[in-house]
Amino acid sequence: MSAGPYNYSYIFKYIIIGDMGVGKSCLLHQFTEKKFMADCPHTIGVEFGTRIIEVCGQKIKLQIWDTAGQERFRAVTRSYYRGAAGALMVYDITRRSTYNHLSSWLTDTRNLTNPSTVIFLIGNKCDLEGQRDVTYEEAKQFAEENGLMFVEASAKTGSNVEDAFLETATRIYQSIQDGRLDLNAAESGVQHKPSQPGRNLSNDLHQKDNCPC
Amino acid sequence: MSNINQEVINVILEKLSSVEIKIKNVSFNCIYYKYSRIRTSLIHQTDIFRSVSDTNSIPSYTHYKFTINYKTLNLPFILDNGTDSKIFEEALTIALSLRSQDSDFHWLEKFSLDSDSFSEFGDDASGLPVCRQKIPRTRGSSSRESMFRFEMESRKAQYTKLRDCSIFVGTWNVNGQPPPPSLSTWLACDPEPPILYAVGFQELDLSKEAFLFSDSPREAEWERAVITSTHPGAKYRMLALIRLVGIQLIVLIHIDHYGYVRDVAWDTCGTGILGKMGNKGGVAIRIRLYDTTLCFVNSHLAAHQDEVQRRNQDYRDISDRINFRKPLKLLKSMSVYNFNQRLIQVLLHFSQVYWLGDLNYRLNKLTHEEVKRLLHFHEISNILKYDQLGLEQSGGRVFEGYTENEITFQPTYKYDLNTDKFDSSEKARAPAWCDRILYRGKGIHQVTYRSHMDHRISDHKPVSALFRSDIAVIDEAKQKKVQEEVFKLMDKLENEILPQVTVDQTEVLFGIVKFKEPVTREIIVANTGQVPVEFNFVNKINEDSYCKEWLRISPYCGSIEPGEKCDIRFEVNLEQHLNKFEDILVLHLENGKDIFISVSGDCQRSCFTASISVLCRCSLPILLMSPEQLRLAEAQQSLVLYSVPRELWLMVDFLYRNGLKTKDLFESTALHDDIMKIRDWLDYGSLNPILDNVSAVAECLLLFLQHTKDPVIPYYQMEKCALCTNFNMCQMIIAQLPDLHRNVFLYIAMFLKELLKHSAENGTDVKMLATIFGNIMLRNPKAKKDRPQVARGKVTFVQHFLDNDISGLIMPKQ
Repeated sequence: MSAGPYNYSYIFKYIIIGDMGVGKSCLLHQFTEKKFMADCPHTIGVEFGTRIIEVCGQKIKLQIWDTAGQERFRAVTRSYYRGAAGALMVYDITRRSTYNHLSSWLTDTRNLTNPSTVIFLIGNKCDLEGQRDVTYEEAKQFAEENGLMFVEASAKTGSNVEDAFLETATRIYQSIQDGRLDLNAAESGVQHKPSQPGRNLSNDLHQKDNCPC
Repeated sequence: MSNINQEVINVILEKLSSVEIKIKNVSFNCIYYKYSRIRTSLIHQTDIFRSVSDTNSIPSYTHYKFTINYKTLNLPFILDNGTDSKIFEEALTIALSLRSQDSDFHWLEKFSLDSDSFSEFGDDASGLPVCRQKIPRTRGSSSRESMFRFEMESRKAQYTKLRDCSIFVGTWNVNGQPPPPSLSTWLACDPEPPILYAVGFQELDLSKEAFLFSDSPREAEWERAVITSTHPGAKYRMLALIRLVGIQLIVLIHIDHYGYVRDVAWDTCGTGILGKMGNKGGVAIRIRLYDTTLCFVNSHLAAHQDEVQRRNQDYRDISDRINFRKPLKLLKSMSVYNFNQRLIQVLLHFSQVYWLGDLNYRLNKLTHEEVKRLLHFHEISNILKYDQLGLEQSGGRVFEGYTENEITFQPTYKYDLNTDKFDSSEKARAPAWCDRILYRGKGIHQVTYRSHMDHRISDHKPVSALFRSDIAVIDEAKQKKVQEEVFKLMDKLENEILPQVTVDQTEVLFGIVKFKEPVTREIIVANTGQVPVEFNFVNKINEDSYCKEWLRISPYCGSIEPGEKCDIRFEVNLEQHLNKFEDILVLHLENGKDIFISVSGDCQRSCFTASISVLCRCSLPILLMSPEQLRLAEAQQSLVLYSVPRELWLMVDFLYRNGLKTKDLFESTALHDDIMKIRDWLDYGSLNPILDNVSAVAECLLLFLQHTKDPVIPYYQMEKCALCTNFNMCQMIIAQLPDLHRNVFLYIAMFLKELLKHSAENGTDVKMLATIFGNIMLRNPKAKKDRPQVARGKVTFVQHFLDNDISGLIMPKQ
C-alpha cells in the first residue's frame, strides 16, 4: 500500500488562553470535532485535544491544551504555558472586558513562553455581530502593535477556526525553516521526527516541490 | 465467514502470543463493554476492551473498536460488524509485526527520560511541577501507523482503479548455447507490444567458469538478444537482470511505464550441490508497477525422471528462502523496501507472482513411443494425465495456490539439436513438459500459453505466456480524500480514547474548622471515558507537595476502570491559625487532562494558635474579643494585661492544684473529645470550672506550648540556647528574651520544679521533663530537622533551669 503514512514529522504544542466564557473550549472542540458544543461547561482545569494537520506537505500533530479561564485559576494555569510553540489568545467580541484583559494575558504569555512562540489573537463569537462590543479595527490595531496574528472567528459557525490553528502552525513551521526556532531548545514546544528512509520518499519529494513556503 | 466473537478473539490471541489467555466478562450488549483484563502466563498483562464507536446507534452496532494493550503498546482497530475474522487476524499480525520492528521509536529516545516510558513531550517538561511530559503518550506511533494502514487498506477500493496491463512471460532452457540472431518469433509474436517482459533462461552457460566464478560472457549476449528482439511496436527499458550461474531472469518495462515502477529488488536461491550451489535453484525479481507488487521467479529444479520429491523440495526451498533482502537500486527515485526478516514466506505477500522455468517435471510411466503415438493423435490431454507437476500439484505437494493454464502445445523437451524431433539418441528420453509458467494472485488473466517450435538451438523449446493482469492504480486525488477521512477518524478516535472522568464537585467547602478538629469531605471521581484512568494529584509550580500541610488526600493516586468510580477523601486538620485556608489541587489524569479542585474554608481562632503577646493583651477569651481589639493586640498597640497568657495560667493553676501528685502526668494521653472541650472552654470562656481531667489539661498545656504562633524561645535564639554549656550562659540568654516569652519560660520552669518536688508520687524526673518541655519550648521552624547536638542541647538547656535556683530570675510584675 502506497498511501502516505499516518506518521507525523512534528509535534507542536499549543495553549489556548483568555478570560472565562470567551469560548476557548468551543474553539478546541470545533477544531478537533468540527462541531459546535452548545452548553459547554466551564473548564475547571486543563483539557487536552489533539489533531493531525498538514502544513507545507508536512504532517504535524497538534497537541492543544485548553486552559481554565477563571481568574482564580490563573496562578495554576501559568504552569502550562511553558513549552508552548503556539498560543491562541481568545477574547469575546461581545464583551469588552475580555478584550481589556488581553494585555494581562499577553504579559503572561510573553513572560512564560519563549520568544519564538507564535501568538495568535482570536476575536471569538463573530457570528454575534449585533452584540458587538469590540470593533474589528481596534483589535486589529492592538494585534499589530503587539506583533500578533489576528482573526475574528466563530466557534459556533466554524468560521476562521481552522485558519487560526493552521496559520499558527504554518508560522511555527516557517520559524523552523528559517532557523528562528531552535528545535533542540528545551522549551521550543516542537518535536521533530525525522522522516524515515525508504518510506514514501518519492511522495515527500513531490510534495516539497509544491510547497508554497 | 465468521463474525467476530469471543471465541475468535480467544483463538487468535492464543495463536499470536502463544500463551494461554482467558477472557472473562466479555459482553457485547452494553454501550462499552466491560473492560476485561487478561492475564497471561508471562509477566506482562494484556488488556482488551471493545466498544461500539457510535454510542448513539445502539443496538445496531456498526463498528467494533478494539484496543489491545499488549505489553506497553496499544494496537487499535476498527472492524465492521460481521467482519471476516481473518481480516482481524491479519490486522493483528501486521500490527504486531510493525510493533516489533520498533523503528518508529528511535527518534523518541532523545526525548525519553527513561527508556521504558514512551513520551512525546519529554525533555522540555522535566522541570515542570506538573508532570506534563506524560500527557500525550496515548499510543505508540507504530500502532498508529498500522492502524492507518489497515484503515487505508480496507478502503482501497475507494481510491484505486484497475488497469489492464499485458505481461509477457517467457522461459527457455538454452542448453549453454549462444543466442541465435533473433528471438523475435518468441518474444514479439503477439500483435500488441506488452507492457512488461519477464524472460527467464536456464542452462545459459554450462561452463565450469560460470559455475565457479559466476562470470559468463553469455549473460551479456543473451541480454542483448532479448533487448533487440522485443516487440517493435514499443521501446523498452531494462528494470533488472539477475543471474545465478545458468539461471537468468530479465525484466523489461515499456518505456512509457518506466516512471511508474518502484521498489525493485532481486534475490537468488541455490538448491543444487549441497543444497545451495547455483547449478539448480531460482532467481527472483520483485517490482512495484503502479500500485501492485509483482514478483517473477525463474527456477531450474532438480533433473531426472525419478527426482520428483527433490523437485518439490527445491520449490519449497526457493519459496522459503527468497526474501529480497538484497535490494537493487536502478532508478534514482526508487526507494528500497526492506522486508521484515521474520516474514518467512515472503512470496505469499505479493499481489501477483509469476513462476517460470525449467521445472523438470516429467511424465510418469509413459514411454517415448507411447507419447509419440498419443501426440500423433493430438491427445495432449491424455498425456497430461501422467504429468508429474499436475499430479504433485493436485496432490497438494507443490505449487500450492498457483494456477497453470491448460497446456495445448506438445512437450518442450527433449529435442535433437537443430530439429523438431524428439530425442533419438540411445537414451531416448521420453518427452516431457519441463518448461512451465504458473501464477498466483488476484486479477491475472492468461491469454496465451504456447511453445515456440522454430527455435532449435537447444534440446528445449522456449515457452511463453501472455497475461492481461489487473494492476491497481491509485487515484491520488481520491486517495488523498480517503486519507483525510481516515485522519479525521483517527483524530476522533484518539480524542475519544483520551481518559475522561467526571468529578461530582470541584469546589470542596469545609466551612469553619477548629483547631485540631479534623473535618473531612469526599468527592466522587467517575470514569466516564472508554479507557482505564490513572489519576494522581500533582504539584503546582514552585510547590514541593501536591497539597498544603493541613490537607490530607486519600487516595492521592489510583486507577479507575471505565464505568467505575472512586471516592477521594479530603481531611483538613488545622494546627496553626489561618484566617482563611484555601488551595487549588491539580488532579491529573495520566495521558489526559487535568482537573482543578478548589478546597477552602475558614479557620476558627483559638488561643492554642495565637501568639503569646496577643494572649497577654486579651482581657477575655479569644473568641469573645472584638475584631478591633484583636487587631490592636496583634499590632501590639493595646496594653499588656497579664505577665503570662491567661489561658496558660488557668491550665497551670489547675495542674498545680490537682495534678502534682498524679502519676505519669505528661505521659498519658487524653480523649480527643476532652481536649476539644478544654479548647472550647478556654476559647469561649465559661462560668463552669475547667474540665476536671488532669491528664487532658496536661496534654492541653503541651499542645498550647507546642502551637503558640511564635515559640516560647524564638526561632532566632533557639540554637544559641541549645548550645549553652553552663547555667551562666543560659541566664544571660534568658535575660535577652522578650519579656513575655521570658515570663512564660520561667513560669513553666517554676511549675516543673514544683512538680519535681513530688516526683515520688507523680513519677517524673528532671531528664524526662526537660526532654518533653525542651522540645516544645525550643521549637524548630516546620520541616527543619535538628542537628543531634542541638537536639541534646535543648534538653540540657531546660535541665539547667530545673537543676539550679531560678528564683532570682523572676522579674517583678510590670
